Amino acid sequence: MAVEPDLKIELGKQGVLVTTLNELYNWGRRSSVWPMQFGLACCAIEMIATTMARYDLARFGAEVFRPSPRQADLMIISGTVTKKMAPQVVRLYNQMAEPRYVIAMGACAISGGPFKQGYNVLKGIDRYIPVDVHIPGCPPRPEALIHAFMTLQKQIDAQPLTGEGRPRHLDAEAMGEFPVPVQGAHDLEPPVNSLVWPLPAPPVPGANG
Amino acid sequence: MKTTEEILVRIKAALPAAQVELVLNPSPCAQHSLRVAPASAFAVARFLREDAELALDYCSNVTGVDWPGKEVTDKVKTTKIVDGVETVVEEAVKRVEPGCLEVVYHLFSMKHSKDGAQVPVILRMKTENRSDRVELPSLTPVWRSADFQEREVFDLFGVVFKGHHDLRRLLMWDEFEDHPMRRDYVDPDDFEYEPTPHDEVLKRAQQHAAEGCL
Amino acid sequence: MVSNPYFPLVVLFVAALGFGLAPLGLAWLWARLVSPQKPNHIKNAIYECGLESRGDAWVQFRSAYYLYAIIFLIFDVEAVFLVPFAVVFTGLSAAACVAMLVFVLLLAEGLVWAWAKGVLTWS
Repeated sequence: MAVEPDLKIELGKQGVLVTTLNELYNWGRRSSVWPMQFGLACCAIEMIATTMARYDLARFGAEVFRPSPRQADLMIISGTVTKKMAPQVVRLYNQMAEPRYVIAMGACAISGGPFKQGYNVLKGIDRYIPVDVHIPGCPPRPEALIHAFMTLQKQIDAQPLTGEGRPRHLDAEAMGEFPVPVQGAHDLEPPVNSLVWPLPAPPVPGANG
Repeated sequence: MKTTEEILVRIKAALPAAQVELVLNPSPCAQHSLRVAPASAFAVARFLREDAELALDYCSNVTGVDWPGKEVTDKVKTTKIVDGVETVVEEAVKRVEPGCLEVVYHLFSMKHSKDGAQVPVILRMKTENRSDRVELPSLTPVWRSADFQEREVFDLFGVVFKGHHDLRRLLMWDEFEDHPMRRDYVDPDDFEYEPTPHDEVLKRAQQHAAEGCL
Repeated sequence: MVSNPYFPLVVLFVAALGFGLAPLGLAWLWARLVSPQKPNHIKNAIYECGLESRGDAWVQFRSAYYLYAIIFLIFDVEAVFLVPFAVVFTGLSAAACVAMLVFVLLLAEGLVWAWAKGVLTWS
């Protein structure tokens, strides 16, 4: 039973606020996304710069960076995820309370980045945990991180409470526990979580792209 | 500043029993190094640090080199029976020269550092082969800065340092079994994805799709 | 009832209680109706910076912290008793003064004991 936007604006001019429960809930969720103090490498320096005076992420709701995953909503994976660190990242994600979001900041978090062929580099953290926003860049500028934050906020705004497209934490069937990879003899086991990162089919050689 | 030859003369004068030899570097930088046998390495290192004139008290870098084994073809004269006549025939015999692992130390002197840019004194040590006799003496008791760096060489090359107080893997996890910086290290197949794959990555991706791994 | 001088206080009390309990009640209702419970083993596990926690969290803590707090509490309560006494002691008999003095001396003896034991030095 949504009210038309024009009527809303008219009423707003008269001093009457009309909203729906969904809008209110999403407004509350997106205006107070508290990130976790989690920086891995160079992108973390840019993340810190974004929280400081010049670029100030706090005015978008990321008021305080929580040290504990229990109190945080957002995990900004900033920096190269090494295979040695990957189980800890996944475990921290599992320990975050729902609703929780992930921003993969920088080329290394998206796909391994410039160090992709390294023996200890995980080729992207979205192999194990679901990522909401990816930011390309090496490192992305603070403005890019703010843009990603705003994109996340728009994503949250667009989520309905019930039905298709509802957020993961309101969906009883959605995965809650993401298996933590084990450090095996030659590689992480499993090397990829196929429920989170289904491998696309390779393009036919000779075809375009 | 002493050249490498002068340092070699000094070492030989102080420790006549030490097996040290000069390794010439033919490139323009001409940074020659000293190869020392593992048995006398500790004594030589001690001398280099404690000598008043050299005072090489700062080990800035410890790294490893992997010399893989080579197939060598020797021409050997053997007597064989050819067409019923005993003749001396030259035969080509193939053998495999075992490779080795080498550890390189870069040494500087903080005491004598006032004459500007210094050239490091380079020390080298070779293991016997790459598979089972990979032990070398640890120089951590002489230069403390070699501690983590020798752990890194152990992790990435497999050189076992005797006398190191805590030889564990540094960069890789403890259960890891390979030595990534060796020349014969093969990256594990971890379903690498590229939007426009080619060569190896394309081959592997098609193989995965064919096998239906994911 | 409305003319009772304490009536505004009751109203304020009920409002204060409601102010605190209403959001909690709404959150509980919301969680029951809309949000499904999704506990899992790792989410409930002990936090140790992403590692699996080893051993017990029951470690022997330094007793200096406990003693500091206890001594503060004792002398704080003593001060709370002394303050009303100080306000009215001119109107009380000498026996009351002596009783209070005994009280203060008992606590002073406790302080002397703690001092002698070396509790007051933070090491």
